[in-house]
Amino acid sequence: MSAVIEIEGLRKTFHSLRNGRRVAVDGFDLLVEAGQVHGFLGPNGSGKTTTLRALLGLVRADSGRMTVLGEPSPELLPRVAGQVGAIVESPQFFGNFTGYRTLRLLARAGGVPVSRVDEALDLVGLRDRGDERVKGYSLGMKQRLAVASALLKDPRLLILDEPANGLDPAGIREMRDLMRSLAANGVTVLVSSHILAEIQLICDHVTIISRGRRVAAGRVDEVLAGHDRHEFLVRVAEPERAVELLHAAELTAVVDGETLVVSGVSDATVVSRVLGEQGLWVGELTPLRPDLESVFLELTGGYEHPSVPRQVDPSGPQGEAVIDLDRGVDA
Amino acid sequence: MSLVRAEMERLSARRFVQLMVVLLVLAFAVTAATTLAGSHKPSASELISAREQAVEARESMEARHQECLARQEGTLPSEPSGYFPADCSEIDPIRQDRLPIAADYLPGVFSFAEQAEPLLYFLIAFLVLFGFLVGASYIGADLNSGGVVNLLLWRPRRLTVLATKLGTLLGTVLVLALLASAFYLATFWVIGQTAGLAGHLDGDFWRSLGAVHGRGLVLVLLASASGFAIATLGRHTSAALGAVAAYAVVWELGGRLVLEIVDARRPDQLMLSSHIAAWLSGETKFFDPQLCLGNSADGYCEGFYSLTWGPALLVLLGLTGGLTAAAFAVFRRRDLI
Repeated sequence: MSAVIEIEGLRKTFHSLRNGRRVAVDGFDLLVEAGQVHGFLGPNGSGKTTTLRALLGLVRADSGRMTVLGEPSPELLPRVAGQVGAIVESPQFFGNFTGYRTLRLLARAGGVPVSRVDEALDLVGLRDRGDERVKGYSLGMKQRLAVASALLKDPRLLILDEPANGLDPAGIREMRDLMRSLAANGVTVLVSSHILAEIQLICDHVTIISRGRRVAAGRVDEVLAGHDRHEFLVRVAEPERAVELLHAAELTAVVDGETLVVSGVSDATVVSRVLGEQGLWVGELTPLRPDLESVFLELTGGYEHPSVPRQVDPSGPQGEAVIDLDRGVDA
Repeated sequence: MSLVRAEMERLSARRFVQLMVVLLVLAFAVTAATTLAGSHKPSASELISAREQAVEARESMEARHQECLARQEGTLPSEPSGYFPADCSEIDPIRQDRLPIAADYLPGVFSFAEQAEPLLYFLIAFLVLFGFLVGASYIGADLNSGGVVNLLLWRPRRLTVLATKLGTLLGTVLVLALLASAFYLATFWVIGQTAGLAGHLDGDFWRSLGAVHGRGLVLVLLASASGFAIATLGRHTSAALGAVAAYAVVWELGGRLVLEIVDARRPDQLMLSSHIAAWLSGETKFFDPQLCLGNSADGYCEGFYSLTWGPALLVLLGLTGGLTAAAFAVFRRRDLI
């Protein structure tokens, strides 16, 4: 598959009198191939939006190489801009314009046929509200309008920064269906989001960024598999005795309430055999698969203790291990 | 071309622009209405009386000039019947900017020939303010709200986008200024014809009015470009307003005071307001007592110096060009976040 977005060694430092020097992105790599629905995850302040802005020529990178649809960005981005639909954070529109007029203005500015406006409004579910002023739109409707603006060009590549912001559950589902439908029609989608369950449902590939660096990348199932501890939830009548038996069989097990969690087991039958041979019959044996949220929190250090307020991603590299499923592990 | 059309639509849709146009129309309507209400068509007897008074005034000026010359030559008694300058040419009627005319003796009668220029200055002042504020808010609000970012996602050519915005602004302001001034002058011309006095509207009058109009339009465009450039540099509309306020207080008031304290020569020529006045009027004279220092006791010294439109235009163009070039250079490399 051909690369639609390539970023290698992207570095961006912001300087300000008040805050001094702050490394926002530090040697970040990203590869999005044609036809992918690629999730781009990271905590607040991890460098997601800066990366997208650099890719789209809105901020100047200190160093690194970027290409979009095969053209170096930002130098030759204008060559392919007509095929790239993008929203970065929540774009602002004129409040006194209607949704239709907003899109018509953008269509004119971009040389897109005005006939596309109705199609884009229809795609995001705003067909019947296009004649209303934007200032009367809810946050979710404004977000739909933003997505419609990105779809106006009939793009080959769609870059969406937090498209689910402000959407209600039905809107999130519609957005998910829309992205699936676009992907089915050959549109490559790069989507950043905090709603990890959504990313897991929509995306086939994912890249996770933390503190300006890539900490994981690859197919979603591979990333999850890479963090599978081979754990099983076991329900038995005598949990304490079961733990002793499993320890005796050189298995790791801990009591968790009325159940056990057994780790490092590749074959579940081992557990039922060890316990069954001693007359302890297993009532439940459930594999504990990691989900994207647990992997994300593990990789980004996002979960510390429920009573400790978590801080946004601090700036600058911290030298943490970088797990790259495509390229191996580097420190 | 599509970008220009889109930008024109964006500019005309701005509430602030619409508000300023409404204010322009209101100011225009109030001025026209009060002029119309305070003027009447002079009767034949009023006209005859006014003409006679004007002739008398001109004759009186001539007689006074002749008296001044006669006293200098010693052909009249030494007791003066009033103040006479040392140089009689100062009161020579031929050297005066204007001589009394009938319109000066027609109270309550609007004279287009006499009032057109001051009215035009008022319009130019409003249009300069309009251009500066609209220019600043057009780009300032767009930079602040993310509108420029949105546009650059569609047209990722920064200089093209900024140049299109500036060009659209200048073109729109020019068209609006031309239309407003044409309508404005035509309205007062009609008032002069129907409810006042048209006055002496010869070729010189129209040439002079045209020159003021042309220079005024240039000033409006320069103000618009400056507002746009300062707001681009400062990322906010308020940056332009703050810069003008700071300049006025720090330099035009404070700087002028300091220059006077240190007895600097020709302080007015260091002030932007002097160059604006010189550009608009063609030439402006300033008094500076420092110019007379060192003159011999019997030597005559007026203490005046003048700024003319040529150097004034260079200063205004240089300042606006510098600001605009700086705005483009900064915008080309700026991080848009």
